[in-house]
Amino acid sequence: MRVVIAEDSAILRAGLVELLNLREHEVVAAVADGDSLCAAVREHRPDVSIVDIRMPPTHTDEGLRASIALRAEMPGCAILLFSQYVETQYATELLADRAGGVGYLLKDRVAEVSDFLDALRRVAEGETVLDPEVVSQLFSATRKTDALAGLTPREREVLGLMAEGRSNSAIATALFLSAGSVEKYVSSIFGKLALPQSEGDNRRVLAVLRYLES
Amino acid sequence: MTTRFALPRRVLGAQLSRAYWAELAWVIIGAPLTLVFVALVVVGLVLGIGLSLLTVGLPVLIGVLAGARLIGAAHIALARALLGTTVTPPTRPELRPGLWNGVKSKIGDPIGWRSIAYLVIRLPLSFIEFFLVATLLTYAVSTLTYPLFWFILNGEAMPTFDLRVDTWLLTLPLALTGLAVLLATPWVVHGLTELDRLLVRGVLGAEDLSKRVRDLERSRATAVDDATRRLRRIERDLHDGAQAQLVALAMKLGIAKDELAGDGDLAQVTALVTAAHANAKQALVELRDLARGIHPAALDAGLDVALSTLAAGSGIDARITVTLPSRPSPSIETIAYFTVAELLTNAAKHTSAAIEVDVGIFGDGLRLVVRDGGEGGARPVRGGGLAGIAERLATVDGRLDIDSPPGGPTVISAEIPLRT
Repeated sequence: MRVVIAEDSAILRAGLVELLNLREHEVVAAVADGDSLCAAVREHRPDVSIVDIRMPPTHTDEGLRASIALRAEMPGCAILLFSQYVETQYATELLADRAGGVGYLLKDRVAEVSDFLDALRRVAEGETVLDPEVVSQLFSATRKTDALAGLTPREREVLGLMAEGRSNSAIATALFLSAGSVEKYVSSIFGKLALPQSEGDNRRVLAVLRYLES
Repeated sequence: MTTRFALPRRVLGAQLSRAYWAELAWVIIGAPLTLVFVALVVVGLVLGIGLSLLTVGLPVLIGVLAGARLIGAAHIALARALLGTTVTPPTRPELRPGLWNGVKSKIGDPIGWRSIAYLVIRLPLSFIEFFLVATLLTYAVSTLTYPLFWFILNGEAMPTFDLRVDTWLLTLPLALTGLAVLLATPWVVHGLTELDRLLVRGVLGAEDLSKRVRDLERSRATAVDDATRRLRRIERDLHDGAQAQLVALAMKLGIAKDELAGDGDLAQVTALVTAAHANAKQALVELRDLARGIHPAALDAGLDVALSTLAAGSGIDARITVTLPSRPSPSIETIAYFTVAELLTNAAKHTSAAIEVDVGIFGDGLRLVVRDGGEGGARPVRGGGLAGIAERLATVDGRLDIDSPPGGPTVISAEIPLRT
């Protein structure tokens, strides 16, 4: 994959470049602030960008702002946000355009190299990947819409794993279920959340969005 | 600190302490000074009120009140210098335009009248103090010297107190009573000057509450902002420092783990582990520095140890003297520590010579003095280091004095009240 990295910490930037190079990916640009990120993505059109949320000058949410601007410009432009902390608010804003191809991971996840690269690949392919930490915060948040209240505990578990961006077979492995019963749960969830059968929209993302838009 | 010599040291130390001699000076000069001032004021008042039937009296009265105000201010300064009592001088009431308003506010000037009241109360008090202390000291000196004078006097009595004994040996117990009186005098003087402190605070420094509230609001805002700023800085340091190092460390170990699982190249794994090791050590350094910035561990052992550690660790050439009879409260110690730390860093920028730091008790406060032989000219600049220190000290009613003539030496002293 061709990757752009936006991270203001020199140590981490170098580490990410090294990691990606080692796994035969091409880092086309490594920058340290939001404006340079926008410029680099416009110029190189990478398969995916890894973006730190807090960058100069204000160290608050520059990375997020730049990402949202980029996706408004180029819908579906794949972005993996990368942060030291979980802010469900950020996840919500990023997912708001419903175009897929976004991820939101804690920086700690990079310790599991293959999982991290896997998440990066899935984001590049247009899927949505959320950090388990984000998902558990969403679960504990007091967002109880009627639709969600109708889900059984098992269905919530499945939805949680779905929100992390796992495939049906991965969910089956995690919950010790057969692939068939996972599919049943998933379609039951779609039914309860009243998500239409449609080709264009990523229904799994929509299911996750139901959490975020309470 | 309790040692076998604690009591003798306290008793003898009191004789030599600066605070005692300053209080003694206050008592000795107090009586004549007050007498002169009272005489001036009384004459002025009699003239002013007597002539006020004619218009000439008003300016005289106004002049007397202005004079009284000056006398009050002088007493506040004197009390600060000798008694270590810090009193904020009261503010003048707002002036309203108009001649009559001007005259009214001048005649009704509360500070002037208050200074006069202070002098009136102080007059008898200062005389009582003066005679009591003079009597004690005279008795002590006479009895202590009587063993010598006994030979000269040839059986005559001492001119003071009519002391007379028949044999030389009997002069010795007398001398001992004198010694006891001499040694007890510091406590008597301190007790008497406590009354003066009350008087200065209560009568001269009785500022209007609204101003005090304003000051407190301002200093509270400073304290809150300061705490917020510090927390934010700590978070930033963690985020950019130790956390980033640890993420990099975890990432490198993660790659190494994968390499080992897939029988990777040993040289590459070694390089990764070496780099991760460096990250770990760097993270430790960053965490240690950060923890020290939050609360220096050496402070648990007292200011003396903490400040010596600080000087040694920063490579600043400093001579540090800490003379404290007992440990101040942790919050005062912390403020004192960081104040000295900043002043030292500041001073070290301007001089390479040794910097002297003195920490001691002065009156009812802790006094820190940092003296450097630099080129002088230190000024508090808005938003600068010294101004920041002064603001932080103000949050605990402390103050910062800067004496830095061009050409040096620079002497910066901070005072922190112990009663917070």
